[in-house]
Amino acid sequence: MALKHSWGHSQVLASLLLIGALVTTPHMSVQAASQSVVEESAGGMTRAVNRMIGGIASYARWPDGSTAANRQMCVVGTPRLAPRMAPDTPGRGSISVRLTPAAGVTPDCDILFLGRMPVADRRQLIAWVRGRPVLTITDDDAACIYGAMFCLNSRAASLSFSVNLDAIGRGPLRIDPRVLRIGSGQGGA
Amino acid sequence: MSGSDLPRSAPRIGARTTLQKLLSRFHFGITLFAVALSGLTILLAGVTALRGYADRNMELAAQLGAYGVEPALVFNDPVAAREGLEPLTHIPGIARLRVLNDVGRPVIEWTSPTADPAPMLSRIFFPRPFAVTVERNGSAIGTIEVWGDSSTLVDYVRLGLLAGLTCLLITAFGTIFLARRFEYELVKPLNEIATVAHDVRLHRRFDKRVQPLGIAELDRLGGDINALLDELQGWQGHMESERALLAHRASHDPLTAMPNRAAFDEQLARRIEAAEGRGGRFALLFIDADNFKAANDNFGHAAGDAVLVALSACIKETLRKGDFAARIGGDEFVVIIDPFDADAVAEELAGRIRACVSQPIALPEGQTYRASVSVGVATFPDSGNNATALLTAADAAMYADKLANRSR
Repeated sequence: MALKHSWGHSQVLASLLLIGALVTTPHMSVQAASQSVVEESAGGMTRAVNRMIGGIASYARWPDGSTAANRQMCVVGTPRLAPRMAPDTPGRGSISVRLTPAAGVTPDCDILFLGRMPVADRRQLIAWVRGRPVLTITDDDAACIYGAMFCLNSRAASLSFSVNLDAIGRGPLRIDPRVLRIGSGQGGA
Repeated sequence: MSGSDLPRSAPRIGARTTLQKLLSRFHFGITLFAVALSGLTILLAGVTALRGYADRNMELAAQLGAYGVEPALVFNDPVAAREGLEPLTHIPGIARLRVLNDVGRPVIEWTSPTADPAPMLSRIFFPRPFAVTVERNGSAIGTIEVWGDSSTLVDYVRLGLLAGLTCLLITAFGTIFLARRFEYELVKPLNEIATVAHDVRLHRRFDKRVQPLGIAELDRLGGDINALLDELQGWQGHMESERALLAHRASHDPLTAMPNRAAFDEQLARRIEAAEGRGGRFALLFIDADNFKAANDNFGHAAGDAVLVALSACIKETLRKGDFAARIGGDEFVVIIDPFDADAVAEELAGRIRACVSQPIALPEGQTYRASVSVGVATFPDSGNNATALLTAADAAMYADKLANRSR
């Protein structure tokens, strides 16, 4: 429901061909959802989650410009998929993690990871984020309807994410359309 | 005199070709060569250029693919990689795509469903795939490989050959048309010259001339021929007048301009034959000046000549249409009176001649001289039925007249 709007906020990187490919129905994507491959070993899911969060963060552009800078991730609530959060960013830049209660969220949080938490806390945090350059990711909202920008979802032995375009559209963050596309294809299914 | 016995300059060669055929053959050969050469050059240049474009196309496709599959490699998502490659599958000329992850393991692979039209060409033109490293924030996260195929090249060559063939046809037709025109322009004036030469040779039409021609060289040739014809015409005219003069001289007396003895003999024989044929008659007058020798001696030869000229003038004056007069000796004249209707005509004519002659003749040295003539008449066939007998009879009659005059 929330996916159809706010394309105007898409990343400047969007190339014409890519948009063209978005509009046309790709004949290969018959699969309902694209999924990251999760290694079948102990900690495989944790690694996959960290890789995904790092990937998403690397495709987000904060208003201060740099993508390569170090980012502060504040983890609120209990993460369901990965007990130990250590986002794995490709290339330059890194993300430091801080566990914090809902009341302890400060404006120095660039990324807000919402684990399992009371509904009231979540609503309060989402309201706080509105208008701020903060990337919100949750692993406790499979349908991605509670206002987080990215929602991680584990299904069988794979990990996927979906995108809430409304949430992204409300904030000043810029997200690479290629990522939006991957998330949309999944969330729309 | 006729042209047929002029010597031939060269023996004839068996199979001769016409100028038109020769030009036509040359034109066609040159055109074919030029068109084939240019067509081949363009085709080769086109294939080379196309190869460059195809290379760039592959490179661009690889770059585009790298951009498209980058997030998929970041998220390790084969389905997203497939979607990222999707735009590339619409680009013609790509045979195969492959994406490798950071450790070199294939993530996704795609092969074009359309068969390669010329695998050999593909192998020659694209021996290796174009590989582009996919990077994220400066570190390599995978590789994309693109294999090209020969479909665009084959299309171009096919199109090029078709266009070349069309061009060849158009050019061939155009050249044939132009060659025809050229041949016409060249052959027409040549034919004109030939026609004039032929006419002059066969019909002796020395008044024919070559018209001014549009081609300078041929016009010069025509001008030379015209000059030659002018000369020929001059010679011809001169020769003809010379011949007429000679013929006149042979048959006429130079002093009185009257036919001479030879012409008279011929004329007499003809008249006799004609009269015999129709059973008719004619008369012959034999006129002789009296005392001509004495006049000659007394007044000189110039005076004698004047007398003879005056005599001949009188005789000519008297002649009717159809009559014939000639001087056959020094002071002897004959007149053939034909038609001869009545016997009185001869006497009447003789009387008129005598009357004319009796007028005083002015001599060159101022004196005057009164001449007289003796005239003898003979008639055919009464006096004789052949030339000798007739002439003898007329001569005898003249002598009789002369004797009668002396005795008077």
